[in-house]
Amino acid sequence: MTFDWSVVWQHREALAVGTGTTILLTVVTMLIAVPCGIVVAVLRLYAWTPVRAVATAYVELFRNLPLILVVYWAFYVLPILTGLGMPPLATGLAALALNVTAYNAETFRAGINSIRRGQVEAAMALGMSRVQALRRVVVPQATRRILPVLASTWVSLFKDTSLVSVIAVTELAYVAMQIRAQSYRVLEMLTAMAAIYWLLGYPQAKLVDWIQRRFAVTE
Amino acid sequence: MDFDFSVITEHWRFLASGVGVTLLLAVLSGAASLAAGFVVALLRLYGPRWLRPAIVFYIDSMRAIPVLVVLVWTFFALPIVAGITMPPFFAALLALTVHLAAYAAEIVRAGIESVRPGQTRASRALGMSPAQILRRIVLPQALVRMLPAFGSLLSVTIKDTAIASVIAVTEFMRQSETVAGQSFQPIEVYTFAMLVYFVILFPVTRGVERVYRRVAHLGRS
Repeated sequence: MTFDWSVVWQHREALAVGTGTTILLTVVTMLIAVPCGIVVAVLRLYAWTPVRAVATAYVELFRNLPLILVVYWAFYVLPILTGLGMPPLATGLAALALNVTAYNAETFRAGINSIRRGQVEAAMALGMSRVQALRRVVVPQATRRILPVLASTWVSLFKDTSLVSVIAVTELAYVAMQIRAQSYRVLEMLTAMAAIYWLLGYPQAKLVDWIQRRFAVTE
Repeated sequence: MDFDFSVITEHWRFLASGVGVTLLLAVLSGAASLAAGFVVALLRLYGPRWLRPAIVFYIDSMRAIPVLVVLVWTFFALPIVAGITMPPFFAALLALTVHLAAYAAEIVRAGIESVRPGQTRASRALGMSPAQILRRIVLPQALVRMLPAFGSLLSVTIKDTAIASVIAVTEFMRQSETVAGQSFQPIEVYTFAMLVYFVILFPVTRGVERVYRRVAHLGRS
């Protein structure tokens, strides 16, 4: 058994580009999924009943599906629904955004619901309008509860981007597995892939712990 | 756009065998990671001090690495290191257990730590041994509090088994891919697969919530 780790160094550029795509996917998905999640949560909480039902159905559906299936589904179904040929990156992004939006919507909804009704009533008794009560009383407190959950969703998302490799999005997992197939250096490439994910993910996991300690709510 | 769902009825036996493997893999890796998670958490809390950094390192590493990477590494790279060959199902079982046990351990630890230290001190004052305190005072309350988190871990486990399709475990996701590829009807097949996963997962999520609401009072102190 001989190992040749130089294969990792030889392909450093491809791996770096793949790592860049992984980070890009994480950032862009979150940039889409936070505002969309807020919209869905607000629809679920305050909208006209049929709209509320649709929003609830969407959230429940995507929270109860394996992401890898959503990725495949998006790959085959989205081009037909939209009539556009979409590049894999856009399809992967759409699948991730659909998934994370559902999780974020639930996070926002739970965050808003966690503020007791009495507080809004008290704010209104003091003469605030409902919108003012939401903005001044509910949102500042809910934010402290939502932020730690968003942080752990972020880390999950970072790891889940590896699943879009099944539709040939050239992110880290796909690139590493391609090089493995071409060079036959299976152990070296797969270990390098795990190491890169670890190097990026470990500090994020620690940061999440810190955020959760920092924002721990005591009522 | 014409849809023809007869492809599902034609291959139902093949697809149903996949559902069976999915459920089997989920139950086995769920049970194994639960058991391993308890051992890891108890070692972290009560084990020798020198072991603690290693356990923290293991848990945080699993939180940092995607389950896909763990699966692929276990199936393709581990046999090279260890000199053994594993059928895909066992590689998936091993990888999922190693990955999920870290999450289970965190749930167990959080549950145990949620029981106020005053109770442990009071029991010690009453002359109970550490093992008695854990068994009689801490765990009965902690177990109830862990329930919702274990429920979501179970649903994560079922969802993660779908990733085992990447290493050719013949579970439902893999079988669906095969049927979709052979029949050239991916839309029908994958839409049906969505329905099946939803029908499996939704009752799990809801069922755990229900059970928890019924026993939540037992965990209060």
